[in-house]
Amino acid sequence: MEAADPNSNVAAAESPPVKLRLTNLSKTYAGQTQTVEALQPVNVEIREGEFVIFFGPSGCGKSTLLNIIAGFETATDGEITLDGTAVEGPHHDRLMMFQEHGLFPWLNVIENVTYGLKRKFRFKPKARRETARQYLQMVHLEEFEKSSIHELSGGMKQRVALARGLAPDPKVLLVDEAFTALDALTRAKLYGDIQEIFLRTKKTIILVTHDPREAACLGDRVLVFSGRPGRIKADIKIDLPRPRDINDPAVAECAATIMTQLEAPTDESSGK
Amino acid sequence: MRVPENKIKYWVLGFYLLILGTWQALFSAGIIPDYLFPSPVQVGRRIWELAADNYLWPSVKATFQRMAIGFSIAASIGLLIGLLMGMSRVVNSCLKSLFLGLQTLPTAAWVPVSLLLFGLSEHGIYFVIIMSSVPAVAIATSDGILHIPTLYLRVARTLGTPTYAMPIRVILPAALPSIVTGLKLGWTLAWHGGVSAELIKSSIGLGYLLYMGRELNDAAQVIGIMVLTILFGLLLDRFVFGLIQKRILLRWGLAQNSS
Repeated sequence: MEAADPNSNVAAAESPPVKLRLTNLSKTYAGQTQTVEALQPVNVEIREGEFVIFFGPSGCGKSTLLNIIAGFETATDGEITLDGTAVEGPHHDRLMMFQEHGLFPWLNVIENVTYGLKRKFRFKPKARRETARQYLQMVHLEEFEKSSIHELSGGMKQRVALARGLAPDPKVLLVDEAFTALDALTRAKLYGDIQEIFLRTKKTIILVTHDPREAACLGDRVLVFSGRPGRIKADIKIDLPRPRDINDPAVAECAATIMTQLEAPTDESSGK
Repeated sequence: MRVPENKIKYWVLGFYLLILGTWQALFSAGIIPDYLFPSPVQVGRRIWELAADNYLWPSVKATFQRMAIGFSIAASIGLLIGLLMGMSRVVNSCLKSLFLGLQTLPTAAWVPVSLLLFGLSEHGIYFVIIMSSVPAVAIATSDGILHIPTLYLRVARTLGTPTYAMPIRVILPAALPSIVTGLKLGWTLAWHGGVSAELIKSSIGLGYLLYMGRELNDAAQVIGIMVLTILFGLLLDRFVFGLIQKRILLRWGLAQNSS
C-alpha cells in the first residue's frame, strides 16, 4: 500500500493497458450569482482489470465524475477516452449500476437481465437467455429467474442489478454507492460476491463510496476526493490478497490510512 | 370497536339489507303513491319481467357492445395523445389546460352536440363515449409519463436503449400504474356518457330502457334500470379495472400485499 501523487502516472513495466483515460476533466456549475467549481481538473488513468474506488465525503465531486464518465453529465472541459477513443453520452460500454436497483418492475428477473442484451444478440432470444442465466448464476440467483422484482429482498434486487450490469459485458462497470442502502449482513455477502465476480471476469470496475471500509475491502486503488472545490487528494494502492473480508483487521487498518489521507492538510487548503 | 378484516363483508351486507329494509318500510308507510315510489319487490319483479320478455338482455348486450367499441377507440386515442403530451412539454402545456377544461363538462353535455353533428345515428353515441373519456385517459397517461422516476430512464440509457425504442420498452410500461388509473376513470366517464346518449338517441340499450320507463310512467322500470346500470358499472370498475390496477400497483412496488 502506498500513497502516490494523484497526478503522476508512473506505470509499472508489466501493467495492463490503459482502459479509461480522463484528461483535464473539470466541471463547473454556473449559478446566477456565482459559479461553483464542482470538480477541479482531473487527470486519471484507469488500467484494464483495475478495481478503482472513488472515495470521499458527499459533495466532493466523486459522483459528478462518475456521472460524467457514464455520460449522464457533460464535463465543462476535458476529455474521456475509452480504449484510446474519445467517448461522449451514455453508452452500454460504460454501464452504470445505481444506488437504487432500478430494476424494471414490469419485467421479471431474467427479463431484466436480458434487457441490456437486446442489441448484442439481435435475433437470438435463446442466446440472450443463456447469457443471462450465466450471470444470474454468478450472483447466485439462478433459481429466481422467473420471480417478479417485488418478491425479492433488497440484497437480491441489488444482485440482479449487478447481473444486469455485467451481462452486456461493458468495458467498464460504474457502480454508484450501490451497497450503501443495504444492511450490514447483506452488504458483507455482496462484497464477497462482487470480488468473486471481479476475479473471474477481470472486469474494470469503478465504484463510488463514502465508506472507507468498503473502499479498503474492494479496491485495488482508492482515489481520495476532497470537497469544495472537488478534487483528487490522494491515490492509494491496496495490495491485500483477495477475496478480502470486510471485518479483516488488515482491511480496517487500510481504511484508517484512507481516512488519514482524506483528513491530511494540503498546501492549497486545510482539508474539507 | 375493531372489526376483523374478514368480518367487514357481513357489515357491508347488513348495510345494504338496511337500505332495502328502509326502502320497503317507507313504501309500506304509504306516504308517497306507489306509482311514483315502487317497493324493492316491485322493482325486482319489473326487472324480471323485462328479462322474461326478452327486453333486458338485448339492451344490456347493445350497451356493452357500444361501450366496448367506443371505449377501445377512446383509450387508443387517449393513450396516443397522452404519449405525445408526455414526450413534449409544449404539447402538454397546450392540451392539458384544454383537457382539464373539457373534464369539468358533464358528460351528458356532449349529447346535444352529437345530435347536431350525427343526428340520430349510432355514431353519435360513440362520439359521446369518446369525448367523455379521452381527456381523462390522456391526462393520466401524460402525468404518468412526466412522473416516471428518472432512475428508470437512466437505467434504460446506460443499458443502451435506442431512442426510438424508449416509448414501448420503457416509457409506457413505467407509466402503466397511472395509465390504468386513467383508464379506470375513463371507463366510468365513458359509461356515464354512453348511457346518457342512449337516453336520447337509441332504440335499444340500458339508457333507452330508462327513457322508456319514464315515457310509460313506469317508476319501477326507471329505478330498476338505474340499479342495474350502477351494478354493471360497479362490477366492471371493481372486477376488471380494479383487479388489473391492484395487480399492477403490487408488481410495481407501489402497494403492499394485504395478505
